Amino acid sequence: MSSVQSPYHFLIRRIHSLLGLLPIGVFLTFHLFLNLSAQGGAALYDKVIGTMRNFPGIFVIELIVIFIPIAVHAVYGTWVVYTGQSNLLKYRYARNWFYIIQRVSGLYTVVFVITHVWALRVGEASFAALQHLVTNPWGLVFYALGIIFAVFHFANGLWAFAITWGLTVGPHSQKIWSYVCTLLFIVITVVGLSDLSAFLR
Amino acid sequence: MAEGKTIRLKIRRQDGPDKPSRWEEFSLPYRPKMNVISCLMEVQKYPVTSDGKVTSPVVWECNCLEEVCGACTMNINGQARQACSALIDQLQQPVVLEPLTKFPLIRDLMVDRQIMFDNLKKVRAWIPIDGTYDLGPGPRMAEVKRQWAYELSKCMTCGCCMEACPQINARSKFIGPAAISQVRLFNAHPTGEMNKHERLAALLDEGGIADCGNAQNCVQACPKQIPLTTSLADLNRETNKFAVSRWLRK
Ligand code: HEM
Ligand code: SF4
Ligand code: SF4
Ligand code: FES
Repeated sequence: MSSVQSPYHFLIRRIHSLLGLLPIGVFLTFHLFLNLSAQGGAALYDKVIGTMRNFPGIFVIELIVIFIPIAVHAVYGTWVVYTGQSNLLKYRYARNWFYIIQRVSGLYTVVFVITHVWALRVGEASFAALQHLVTNPWGLVFYALGIIFAVFHFANGLWAFAITWGLTVGPHSQKIWSYVCTLLFIVITVVGLSDLSAFLR
Repeated sequence: MAEGKTIRLKIRRQDGPDKPSRWEEFSLPYRPKMNVISCLMEVQKYPVTSDGKVTSPVVWECNCLEEVCGACTMNINGQARQACSALIDQLQQPVVLEPLTKFPLIRDLMVDRQIMFDNLKKVRAWIPIDGTYDLGPGPRMAEVKRQWAYELSKCMTCGCCMEACPQINARSKFIGPAAISQVRLFNAHPTGEMNKHERLAALLDEGGIADCGNAQNCVQACPKQIPLTTSLADLNRETNKFAVSRWLRK
């Protein structure tokens, strides 16, 4: 072991973990709940978006609270995916499945978020714009998968988060926490998919 | 079981680190209560493949023959385990034998597990008591602690956990769960605890504890039922506390 140590490796991994929950995970949850307003119809939805968009300093807030954390988490996450090597065919345990789905969903989320932001934040965001996207069957599948994968990634990430921070140490607490995470996954996915269904009517 | 039955072995052979690999099959007369090592000994006595081709004897390692040294670890029907405790009567045939894939190959089923011992050195998995005079008896260890620490001490550096871990591969420097779990063992020891900071510091390095991806294969693969994932989570907590505290005191 070298006598001088650069603990940056540890620090970066912990920051990556923290960003997954704060702010990214919290934002994701908030974002999906807020979009339930689409159930109220086009007029209400466009009004909500308008309020958000005209919020003073929204660009700076979005940059600091959303874009930069996601970019950092995604870039480093992609590196983490690269340093792994799945062996699902030999070791078919449930957690090994989750390990790989965590990575696949992360990568999918990168593609999804870029497309999503490109289409709606750079482009025009409105009820009509989203409706146009998801009435195309491929667009619908792309969006539904985006929601399911992002929420899975968050929920399963929370399960791992509790280990990374040494909260759930033993197998029993890890199991109980996995039930809580499953519940969160179900609730947030249902919310996300009902956002989507609003645009299909 | 019936007379005249045979045991079929399918072995991945390789004459050296840079040589091509090939499959060879062997049939041995069945005897009850054989294990993979005793089969390999039969092959050594009579190195002729199922189709009658004379070949070189298969190279493998073993030592204790009672699942405590770890030397005979290999992939048996796709799973890393000890050949000495792999009973033929409980295995599906043909029994497929392959070397471990996460370690440099020496020959046939023999690999070099040196990296695991190097990793133990990296994390200082020992208790430094050497000196120029008698230090006297150390502090006592609480019995409850001794009980769980004993479980961790059963590690035989066999490499099953390394083989099963997706985070151990050519692209990663991860030292693996076995060495990490030893940090917990030596930090639990009342004398070892005095050098706790050195072991925790080592875990913050590249390849240290943060490289675990929580696939939890290791705990399933460990033949000694060592609670590796508990050790990992416990040391996550300890390293977090240690890193923050060290930084605040800087
Ligand atoms: C919807 C946005 C995202 C959310 C809410 C999110 C959330 C999380 C959370 C909470 C964790 C757990 C951290 C831990 O293990 O302690 C995590 C881990 C991870 N994330 Fe994300 N993430 C998102 C996007 C991404 C993206 C775009 C990638 C890029 C591939 C990614 C890759 C990863 C990887 C590889 C891990 C596992 C890290 C490890 O096991 O060490 N994530 N994520
Ligand atoms: S829990 Fe960590 S150490 Fe164990 S197999 Fe998974 S990645 Fe490897
Ligand atoms: S922890 Fe278990 S699987 Fe890993 S080297 Fe030790 S005994 Fe083998
Ligand atoms: S020979 Fe020691 S574990 Fe098999």
